[in-house]
Amino acid sequence: MTRIFASLAAAGILTIGSTARAGLVEPGQADINGLKKSAPKVYLDCPSCDLEYIKTEITFVNYVRDRKEAQVHVLITTQATASGGREYTLTFIGQGDFKGTDDVVKFFSNKTDTEDEVRKDLVKSLKIGLAPYAARTPIASRIAVSYAAPPAAKPGKDKWNHWVFSLSGEGFFNGESSMSRHSWGTNFSANRTTEAAKIRLGLSGHFDRARYEVGGETIRSRRESYSVNGLYVFSLGAHWSAGAFFEAESSTYENTKLGLRAAPAVEFNVFPYAQATRRQLRLLYRLGGGPVRYHDETIYDKIKETLWGQSLSVTLDVKEKWGAVSVSGSGSHYFHDFGKNRLDVFGSIQLNLFKGLRAHVFGGGSRIRDQLSLAKGSATLEQILLRRRQLETGYNYFAIFGLSYTFGSIYTNVVNPRFGSAGGGGIRIVIH
Amino acid sequence: MTTTARLFSAASLLAFPLFVLAQDPAAPRPADPIRVSVESPALALGDWAKALAFAEPASPDKAQVAVRVEKKEGDVWAVAFTGRGEFEGQDDALTCSAAAGLPEAEAKTAVLQAIKLGLMRYVSKTPLSGRVSISLLDAVKPTAVADPWNFWVFSLGVNSFVNGEKSYNSQSWMGNFSAGRVTPDWKIRLSLNGHLNKDAFNVLDYHYESKSHSLGGSGLIVKSLTDHWSVGGFFNLSSSTYQNVRLSLAPAAAVEYDVFPYSESTKRQLRILYRVGLTRVRYREETIYDKTRETLWSESLSATLELKKPWGTVSATLRGQHYFHDFKKNQLELNGEVSFRVFRGLNFNINGGGSRVHDQLYLAKGGASLEEVLLRRRQLATTYNYFFSVGLSYSFGSIFSNIVNPRFGSGGGSSFSLSF
Repeated sequence: MTRIFASLAAAGILTIGSTARAGLVEPGQADINGLKKSAPKVYLDCPSCDLEYIKTEITFVNYVRDRKEAQVHVLITTQATASGGREYTLTFIGQGDFKGTDDVVKFFSNKTDTEDEVRKDLVKSLKIGLAPYAARTPIASRIAVSYAAPPAAKPGKDKWNHWVFSLSGEGFFNGESSMSRHSWGTNFSANRTTEAAKIRLGLSGHFDRARYEVGGETIRSRRESYSVNGLYVFSLGAHWSAGAFFEAESSTYENTKLGLRAAPAVEFNVFPYAQATRRQLRLLYRLGGGPVRYHDETIYDKIKETLWGQSLSVTLDVKEKWGAVSVSGSGSHYFHDFGKNRLDVFGSIQLNLFKGLRAHVFGGGSRIRDQLSLAKGSATLEQILLRRRQLETGYNYFAIFGLSYTFGSIYTNVVNPRFGSAGGGGIRIVIH
Repeated sequence: MTTTARLFSAASLLAFPLFVLAQDPAAPRPADPIRVSVESPALALGDWAKALAFAEPASPDKAQVAVRVEKKEGDVWAVAFTGRGEFEGQDDALTCSAAAGLPEAEAKTAVLQAIKLGLMRYVSKTPLSGRVSISLLDAVKPTAVADPWNFWVFSLGVNSFVNGEKSYNSQSWMGNFSAGRVTPDWKIRLSLNGHLNKDAFNVLDYHYESKSHSLGGSGLIVKSLTDHWSVGGFFNLSSSTYQNVRLSLAPAAAVEYDVFPYSESTKRQLRILYRVGLTRVRYREETIYDKTRETLWSESLSATLELKKPWGTVSATLRGQHYFHDFKKNQLELNGEVSFRVFRGLNFNINGGGSRVHDQLYLAKGGASLEEVLLRRRQLATTYNYFFSVGLSYSFGSIFSNIVNPRFGSGGGSSFSLSF
């Protein structure tokens, strides 16, 4: 506090304005620049936000590039809403001089909102959440707050009774003289979500075609898959839920003409579901099975069979100011032969270790003993290289590691769009 | 300077609970003013509710927020906020001061400002929040900070990606270093990066291993001239097995004009960039034009449009380039992305790019193997290339429902995207 006083006195700029603009005393440019020096230092923990827009719209704080340098750490987390929009939770965490001053502000976006609408709402929520911190620094005297009275209209009743339907299609094409490729996907979904129950129904299809010209020869290749799936879940208190999955699928990659599966399931969340945007530790048990028919005879001499199995999965999701952890593991086996089983792990860890140092690890692996659908015949060279057919394996894995160290200026207030803004380089991972 | 009231802070008293109980988001409440009681025995605040607009005066027992203003030593005013009812436990404290001997009106202004900003955290939990605008009254320089590094930022990074199964494995490694200084007047950016890639296939008696690597460096310096003009220079260094380039060095000078003022860049830009430069290149294998090294002069012109509007987003670049030794060695390229909301519920997006290519001076004579073709390890002769994707989605029903139900996982299955 003394420090703020001292810096103010040194700058000799003790002006206060009222929001009644008429009676305002305009300070000189030097004055506002002096006030800006002691404005709250803010770290925005949201790599997918439009940071340049936020910086040009909210000028009463200073932006820093590392959480350890900040007086206010703003952690932004999102969750899907029933309508396919997102719930944004802005957690303001006071640090240093502001330690102990914390707050949470939420807003919702709709599925049909454009980027511009979402970023405007985000800026509105950020401003309102940052105002109490700015109130603790001298720049508060130059902040205007205005209020527009609401129109009289009341929100209407929901005639759709929480049902949301969505239809989408996408196509991807690329090519040059020696190759061309196109893929198509379509998707239909019908969802109904309330706090008591959740229903999800989905239909989707994907197909992929490619043509390559090599040494006067034309190589053609294709891959197709279709699926229908359903989920019904009802809530049993703050920690328990029960429900059932249903799935029908067909895939050339997996040599499956038609597979049907139904499975009742039960879930326990160690943390209350109300904290899901920041932490969850969910254990899900499934029991079920159904008939399956193959395209080609399998290595086990089957063209169709009925399979029953069970699975258990554990998912941990934590987002804290030091970073984010998302880890899941699951194990399953078939009842007719306990040796036909698989174990999957998947994890993503992003850490802000200390000033300037960040690390991320992202990866997954499986131990596979249940490739019951493998076709007998061997795959062709182009099916192997283009990954058009599932091959026999005992495992698979993928991993991404990254480490970065940044030093130098901590301030990131400046937006300079000249010759393009792209930072160039770097990897961004987004998990929904 | 006639006004000398000061507003600053005291340590805050209480943390807000991190997890706010969910309101029923499906039933938005009307934006009723927030009920506030103000006790200020030592300072007359007059019609404070009129100055606040979003609050209405209430008796202390009916108020959602009780505010108490007290005079402390040294002309310091303490403003305490106490939450009631739905805001129970959400308290805050601010202080402000007015220099001794000044009219009471100045102290009143400072105290009202503190009340107004202090009430924002209660307003943020109500539908009123959508109707409040907060802004800084003055234009301020983003560089008005005390920065011992003078805006220089350095960064070092390594990344890797590995994946595999019994018959296939692949790994990539990337390293980068960058240094930059961005102020409104200058932009300086230097970076160096390296990339290593390896794939191996082992199926029965078929074994194939493929490797590729590239090395790149770039430098950029831009000086701001006016709100529409900038000048600068580029320097690029690269080495790539895919493009048959052992080493290429390319300095260039450039000038840019933005049809819209740069200050509106987050909403709209239409930048036209002219660039002229030379490339000194050494190839790995002799090219189809019988060269192992050459020096090439070229010029290029590009136009970039970026719009972010309530109806959607547009980002597109059209670029043309040719070499001076042979004007027919040229390239025309269009890249773009449009996402457009036709009406509530119907969204359309397209993104893609295409090039007309007549300047593959680097193609190696030797050709490529079947594996090199399928795995795209070598650039092949072409006169065009394109990629685009289109998507259309239509949603109807209860599309404004804000309920979050995380049971059995949110979303319809997890997805992740990775971008470089």
